[in-house]
Amino acid sequence: DDNQMKDPDMASAVAAIRTLLEFLKRDKGETILGLRESLTSATDCLTGVDSSVAVSSGGELFLRFISLTSLEHQDLSRCKKVMEERGELFLEKISMSRAKVAKLCHTFIKDGAKILTHSYSRVVLRVLEKAAAEKKRFSVYVTESQPDAAGRQMAEALRKLNVPVTVVLDAAVGYVLEKVDLVIVGAEGVVESGGIINKIGTYQMAVCSKAHNKPFYVVAESFKFVRLYPLNQQDVPDKFKYKADTLKTVQNLSEEHPMIDYTPPSLITLLFTDLGVLTPSAVSDELIKLYL
Amino acid sequence: LVVENEATMPGSDKETDLTERIEAFLSDLKRGGSGTGPLRGSAETARETTALLRRITAQARWSSAGDLMEIIRKEGRRMTAAQPSETTVGNMIRRVLKIIREEYARSRGSSEETDQQESLHKLLTSGGLSEENFRQHFAALKANVIEAINELLTELEGTTDNIAMQALEHIHSNEVIMTIGRSRTVEAFLKDAARKRKFHVIVAECAPFCQGHEMATSLSKAGIETTVITDAAIFAVMSRVNKVIIGTQTVLANGGLRAVNGTHTLALAAKHHSTPLIVCAPMFKLSPQFPNEEDTFHKFVSPHEVLPFTEGEILSKVNVHCPVFDYVPPELITLFISNIGGHAPSYIYRLMSELYHPEDHEL
Repeated sequence: DDNQMKDPDMASAVAAIRTLLEFLKRDKGETILGLRESLTSATDCLTGVDSSVAVSSGGELFLRFISLTSLEHQDLSRCKKVMEERGELFLEKISMSRAKVAKLCHTFIKDGAKILTHSYSRVVLRVLEKAAAEKKRFSVYVTESQPDAAGRQMAEALRKLNVPVTVVLDAAVGYVLEKVDLVIVGAEGVVESGGIINKIGTYQMAVCSKAHNKPFYVVAESFKFVRLYPLNQQDVPDKFKYKADTLKTVQNLSEEHPMIDYTPPSLITLLFTDLGVLTPSAVSDELIKLYL
Repeated sequence: LVVENEATMPGSDKETDLTERIEAFLSDLKRGGSGTGPLRGSAETARETTALLRRITAQARWSSAGDLMEIIRKEGRRMTAAQPSETTVGNMIRRVLKIIREEYARSRGSSEETDQQESLHKLLTSGGLSEENFRQHFAALKANVIEAINELLTELEGTTDNIAMQALEHIHSNEVIMTIGRSRTVEAFLKDAARKRKFHVIVAECAPFCQGHEMATSLSKAGIETTVITDAAIFAVMSRVNKVIIGTQTVLANGGLRAVNGTHTLALAAKHHSTPLIVCAPMFKLSPQFPNEEDTFHKFVSPHEVLPFTEGEILSKVNVHCPVFDYVPPELITLFISNIGGHAPSYIYRLMSELYHPEDHEL
């Protein structure tokens, strides 16, 4: 939480991993098992504050990282040293991932393109920054993205880049799509099937762009890959759908508005990640390689 | 073992001979690209490129794998710039670069899997920001690389036969097959099936070059009942067709195709009638490009075929284009048949990762 406030540009998963790394450094446990347990409880604590998919995936990835490292070294103190080194290295690498994604994606934005995006995504912003830096002329439509009107924040940031931007109502997505050439969205989590979990309204946008035959691109860093396989909207766990405070205070969740939705892989054209440009079917391959 | 006649010549002569051959190849590429000249099949281009790369490996001066890769990359950039639409050249270069990486890794003793693709696993477990600069010198590297390239050449030679061998599984008696234009791979495929099965082929002529006519003549010489139709009749005839089998110029990284113009029409008609669309494409046509770059994508040739210069008056009032290629999205394709078997379009990414290293995607 502290980390996120210090650097609003950092992804919440990265902040989570950084926090867990700090926790690891200060841990005084004697056994690997004890370490795992305390890290699990730390992750739970983090998700208790910010129950987004990204934090959960970051935490799980870190735990996986711990188990992989602990398998190699038996001695705890050496193990911890290696973990700390690798942890720092990991953080360094993933801090470069947004740049890698931007480098891959900006070639898909042609001169004169009209882009539609949803809500506020730092990765999409980075991609559009890179495209603008390459002297491409394009204009952007951003959905307002209620209930927190994050789309306006995105529009502000784009105006600073001198990109012509229009804020549209969430309900106007179908109306605007005939003018648009491509749709680019970020993702809070990428699930095993190759689908994504993102701010509510993304699924709608994906269905509309499929109907209009417009390419639907997703940009996400690789640490957002999460081990979930939802088959429909209901399968997404409640703890991701609603904010942490809502979960704690409200009794009847059916009266609450979910913050995220699930977009199935059949609606996604391509995913741009720091591991390369992937088709949705390639995502599960990547996840298997990690969790083998 | 490759016996090079030039091994007896002094070093500087070898160099000039090598540069001469490269220049000859480049000018050949530039010339052979026009739609009307004698079309070289992609298989020949692939074979020639690989033979040239083998020659470069044997004759150029290099001391470590890194140097060799730099040389090949440099020549590769020139070759792809000579004829951007001929993607087999780039593909072969990337294959050879991957061979070099593998041989280097094998010589170093590290397992082949470690230095491969980026993955989440690698992100978590690797020790340092690995700077694999390929600087170590290995004496046996040259021989190993040349041997591996020879294996690649043998594979290239067998591709059409390997694909044709699978014909009997896909074509059944009394079927009506539709194809478009002229593809040597599809020709061999159909002729192989014709040895044991009786079926009917409908060929769309593929204006304006009408290569379909030559295809039909060749097929009927092999004893296959053939019908030629105009491109406009594709949709009308599709309801009577059981399968559509086509060749392609390139298979793109998302599973889409860059094929002769008219293929997209054919694919849409097939989708509408739920007719399976089978693409016969050898592995050397698989390219790591995505269908996004406008400049490298298309090739236009003289519009003379569409609207001849004799038409005089109209010419000043209209814009005439004659594109050579078409893009077919992966959703319209049912199956890819390559020399290593049949695959779904969604599996192409896997084949890509086996054939090429991600750092070589941009030469």
